[in-house]
Amino acid sequence: MASLKDIQRKIGSVKNTQKTTRAMKLVSSAKLNRTKELAEQSKVYAAKITEMIQDIASNISKHGESLDNIFFKEIKNPKTVDIIFVTADKGLCGGFNSQTIKRVNVLLEKYATEGVKVRLRAIGKKGISYFKFNNIEMLQEISDLSASPTYERAAEFISETVEDYIRGSTDKIIIVHNGYVNMITQEVREEQAVPVDASALTTDAVSTSELELEPDDDDTLLEALVKRYLEYVMYYALIDSLAAEHSARMQAMESATNNAKEMVDKLSVQYNKARQESITTELIEIISGVESMK
Amino acid sequence: MKTMKLEIVTPAGVIYDGDIKQVTLPGEQGEFGVLPEHASLVSLLNAGVIDIETQGGKSVLVAINSGYVKIDENKALCIVDGAVALNDEEGEITSNIEAAKDLLKSAEVSSSTLAAAVNKLDSVGR
Repeated sequence: MASLKDIQRKIGSVKNTQKTTRAMKLVSSAKLNRTKELAEQSKVYAAKITEMIQDIASNISKHGESLDNIFFKEIKNPKTVDIIFVTADKGLCGGFNSQTIKRVNVLLEKYATEGVKVRLRAIGKKGISYFKFNNIEMLQEISDLSASPTYERAAEFISETVEDYIRGSTDKIIIVHNGYVNMITQEVREEQAVPVDASALTTDAVSTSELELEPDDDDTLLEALVKRYLEYVMYYALIDSLAAEHSARMQAMESATNNAKEMVDKLSVQYNKARQESITTELIEIISGVESMK
Repeated sequence: MKTMKLEIVTPAGVIYDGDIKQVTLPGEQGEFGVLPEHASLVSLLNAGVIDIETQGGKSVLVAINSGYVKIDENKALCIVDGAVALNDEEGEITSNIEAAKDLLKSAEVSSSTLAAAVNKLDSVGR
């Protein structure tokens, strides 16, 4: 039986932990709101840029030319696949990081059986340290982007990959990240960035009129536009992942706070029992002392 | 007076959305003006200044780095990487001009384009 003082100390330390986890939860919920706002704002951009790509693509097909731009051509048997995955820089967010890593591992296995070479490009400390620990080679590592994503840095990161794609050193680019669904749910998302799935770009607002292009070369224009689209996809993956990270951390901290509360309750009961016990023993001692004096 | 719709969108959100009388855009092959009922057009945009004449006849300047414009069905849609709008509200304009200049400088453009754009910005400041 632990002494009274020990139990008291334990209660104190659990209470302190509870305070920390509660504070972390509040911080995460504030950050989540800000990130959600960012995501909302950038969605407008996504809608518009898809619309524009769609318009140009339909303009090209109207001229009777097929869409054989490098970014749209699906390669039947890819030899090399690049996987970009996003994890958080920090832990304490439940299964958030491990879910993404698990998905990447599944992909790695799948491509290994198909005999496809996979190159990993990692964003976020947690993912990097996991693959380093398991001695899996990564082509590119960047560790301070996921906590504060900016459009410029996201663009810079993916442009290297896109250059590789244009050069032909990779046939496919996949982005894996853990995305935000709502306050209590996250979902691992796996998106094929290039080749762009043209059917996924369908919008209702396809213009009927003939577009005049300037510079007068569909391919240059389309290529530049797709590059920008990819930059956006990367940026959005980062924001989405950040929102999910905060919501996952909120949840983890919430349950940690609850667990701490339960523990305090249990310890208090234990403390009270121990106190009563010591009082009873003391009383018995006094009474038996008095009895023996008689 | 006929009007057309103009939207300027960046990854950080919508910068401008409204009805306008006329807009001048920094196209890749030179600056060009667009009036309502312009022919359908898609063009690359260089870093520079978008000059908008609003429905109320006011002039609004928006500095951008590179992007695109699509003009279609009496609607102009600009998709740009970064943009700073200059409101003519007192006090804000000076800091906005500085921000706009920084944006232009960060975009890699030829010095002559840059000078022209900066000049345009300065003329509003006075």
